[in-house]
Amino acid sequence: MRKLVAILPLVLTTIFVYLLDKPLGKLPAIGRLLDPVNGCWASADPVNKSFDLQLQLPGLKQAAEVRFDDRLVPHIKAATEHDIYYVQGYIHAYFRLWQMDMQTRAAAGRICEVAGEKALKFDRGQRRKGMVYGAEQSLKAMEADPRSKDMLDAYSAGINYYISQLNYRAYPLEYKLMGFKPEAWTNIKTALLLKYMADDLTGYTEDIAMTVLRDMLSPAEFDLLYPSRMEGSATVIPSDTVIQHPSLKTLAAPPDSIAWTHLQTTDFIQDETDGKGSNNWALSGSRTLSRAPILCNDPHLGLNLPSLWYEVQLQTPSMNVYGVSLPGAPGVVIGFNDSISWGFTNNYRDVKDFYAIEPMSANTYRFSGKELRYNDRVEVIKIKGRPDFKDTVHYTIHGPVIYDQSFHGPGGLIKPLAVTWMAHKPSNEILSLYLLNHSNNYVQFVDAIHHFNCPGQNMLYADRAGNIALWGQGQFINKWKDQGKYVMNGADSSTLWKELIPVAENPHAFNPAQGYLASANQTVTDSTYPYWYNGYFNEFRSWRINQVLRSLHSATVEDMFKLQNDVYSILASKVLPVMLQHINVDVLKLKERKYLDFLGGWDYRLTPDSKAATVFQVWWTELYEVIWKNRFSKVPDKIYPSPERTMQLMIDNNPAIGNLNDLAVYSLRNATDSLAKLEKAGKLEWSKAKNTSVNHLTKLPAFSYPDLKIGGWGNTVNAAKSVHGPSWRMVVQMGRQIEAYGVYPGGQSGNPGSKYYATFLDKWVKGEYNKLSFVPRSGKATSRFTWNIQP
Amino acid sequence: MRSLITILFIAILSGITTFFLPWWMVAVCTFLVVVTMRQRPGQGFRAGFAGIALLWLIVILCRDLPNEHILSARMAKVFGLPNSGLFILVNILLGGLVGGLAGWSGGVMFKYFRK
Repeated sequence: MRKLVAILPLVLTTIFVYLLDKPLGKLPAIGRLLDPVNGCWASADPVNKSFDLQLQLPGLKQAAEVRFDDRLVPHIKAATEHDIYYVQGYIHAYFRLWQMDMQTRAAAGRICEVAGEKALKFDRGQRRKGMVYGAEQSLKAMEADPRSKDMLDAYSAGINYYISQLNYRAYPLEYKLMGFKPEAWTNIKTALLLKYMADDLTGYTEDIAMTVLRDMLSPAEFDLLYPSRMEGSATVIPSDTVIQHPSLKTLAAPPDSIAWTHLQTTDFIQDETDGKGSNNWALSGSRTLSRAPILCNDPHLGLNLPSLWYEVQLQTPSMNVYGVSLPGAPGVVIGFNDSISWGFTNNYRDVKDFYAIEPMSANTYRFSGKELRYNDRVEVIKIKGRPDFKDTVHYTIHGPVIYDQSFHGPGGLIKPLAVTWMAHKPSNEILSLYLLNHSNNYVQFVDAIHHFNCPGQNMLYADRAGNIALWGQGQFINKWKDQGKYVMNGADSSTLWKELIPVAENPHAFNPAQGYLASANQTVTDSTYPYWYNGYFNEFRSWRINQVLRSLHSATVEDMFKLQNDVYSILASKVLPVMLQHINVDVLKLKERKYLDFLGGWDYRLTPDSKAATVFQVWWTELYEVIWKNRFSKVPDKIYPSPERTMQLMIDNNPAIGNLNDLAVYSLRNATDSLAKLEKAGKLEWSKAKNTSVNHLTKLPAFSYPDLKIGGWGNTVNAAKSVHGPSWRMVVQMGRQIEAYGVYPGGQSGNPGSKYYATFLDKWVKGEYNKLSFVPRSGKATSRFTWNIQP
Repeated sequence: MRSLITILFIAILSGITTFFLPWWMVAVCTFLVVVTMRQRPGQGFRAGFAGIALLWLIVILCRDLPNEHILSARMAKVFGLPNSGLFILVNILLGGLVGGLAGWSGGVMFKYFRK
């Protein structure tokens, strides 16, 4: 008894300590986390921390040097290509390891491993889409070419050497909060990251809604509401561009009865949008003050911390390139070198098509009159604290069966659909970046981008020799008219994807007469382009950019800053007068009139302080909803006619819109309720009403920045939406001296405890830029910190 | 005097040990020091509490001040606390509690087993 009493405190203490050392429910292991020596406190970087290091990296072939500037941008100098990518891998891991790990886990459908069962639906979706399958295909292509293989091997080795030296204390904070640890990097993770981008930019499921709509509407109505080419588009490729003769013949479409499948209400069970736009434009010397071309790019993507981008300069004897890289991939994605500059916007041509599968037994399906066996791929999803979940995915001749009874599609779709997707084909985008980084002229640029298959991008070019160019680049299919616009019959061979369009025949323009080129996700070409395609194009930003660029004849980089931060809404300027015209003020209540009064004299700019902007946006959203909801709210994904088309129909007073007099008043009434709520909460100013936020990848408010005082929306050039927006604004003047500016909403360090975590955010919000210190080959970077690296 | 030395011993030994070994070594160290220093249960609790709270306070200040509270302000928010000061206090009390319990265990153990 005495002994028992003596041991009792020890037992209690042991239990207490044990509990503090284990994650409980959603809580991390509190003891480990709060231990000041090894826990979260280890991430408290001193604000005047010296990043100077003497490093020994055993994988290196020769000595290398990294000079960090004031903004912590590394200027890496190495003697060989192998070494530069090795050091880039090491640096990415040094500053961004957790993010790289998390994003590739997300791509591979492995979130459950670290976050538990709540991510199961997400993980299954990723597996069924064939993300890992696609990455495996690409990896084969990447490893088949010695240039990209060496690049990837060196990059992975650099990351892995960094990871091998870590102990718990040195783990990024998020590992400690989520209770997992870094794992070794492999080349497939880089492939997965690229598939993640491809999915973000081409992963649409609109075909399913379109199939429903086609059966709902007459062909005339369908074309009126969902035109395949937007009237009046200022296309990516200027319409006076001479299009070369196509080498492939136009294919005859199979008869409708064979081509298409129909979706009935029984194909859906009750179940539980807006695209990502980007802008780029280039002015030739004829339109700039300096007579040197200026290239501008601002790819719009999810706004997150740690930021998607990481600024870097890479210098070897054969390359000197500056720009933004993706942590998780070697090389520079968007940027410039000694001779050329380039930028990307999403091309939005449809490269993801769906096929209805007719199962014949549990293991077989019908194709071309025969019974074919599925190729089964068992996806094992590990779940933290739970047994593994096994999902057998059937692979058909078309690709994986993405939706079926056990995993529903949009709108609760249960009919088995397989997906054919360009991201499943072997491709080597890494080689494309490698060649691009090394390019010195237009010919080399074109050669480089032709390896870029998916996601298709509008690739903009400007060089110091004075040329500008733009390619709608990607690997595309010679489709018969409407192929892949709707869900196709998967049992007939006539619906299969056939020939690839030779990449040299992709739409492109070189030094156009208009003196500039611009893309903002609008329609790529006019009707002279010989190959049929569809896509998800947006026009508002393109209209505005073209309007401004046409008026500039001696443009400066400051003009470009202004345009990238432009918040003039073409939509508002065209549609608001129509809305006001249909309002009968006499029937309005006092409070409704009050909000209407805000719109008097408004300049159509969505500035952060504008109350008129809020009134317009809320009213327009309500109006758009009431115009279409009765007819289309049951369509999966609620695909309505586009805002562009709606605007055009309203201006034309087309009967398809309905009675605008009633709709305008009705929608204003609804809007008044929302506006009153906003006003009561003190959020009538546009930036407060829309709440642009840059969130940490975990969505932890403590690591995020909500309520940024920034204007704009999806329909303005500065497309700062709630959690999407310009992820990297870049302006490069390609004169004798290259003059470059850039800013992204984040900071170079991924550590929430570092002062470099969100350093650029404030400038980004205000529309200011950092001058990029591009170090010439012969020169030395003025450096704040230096890494001397020995092999 | 003896209790002051015990406190210092606990803080120093725990600090050195946890630099190389997991955090819960603070409990092991405290327990051993209390037994070695022949402390009674009450003394053991006080010494353990003070020793670990002191160690954690020093380490935290050494990290928080040069960091200008960037991390502590964020962590306070993670735990739903209004400011970094309170977060640091809670953090130190937790350490103190672990040390206190370990010291108490050591004291009780010593009391019952010395004969």
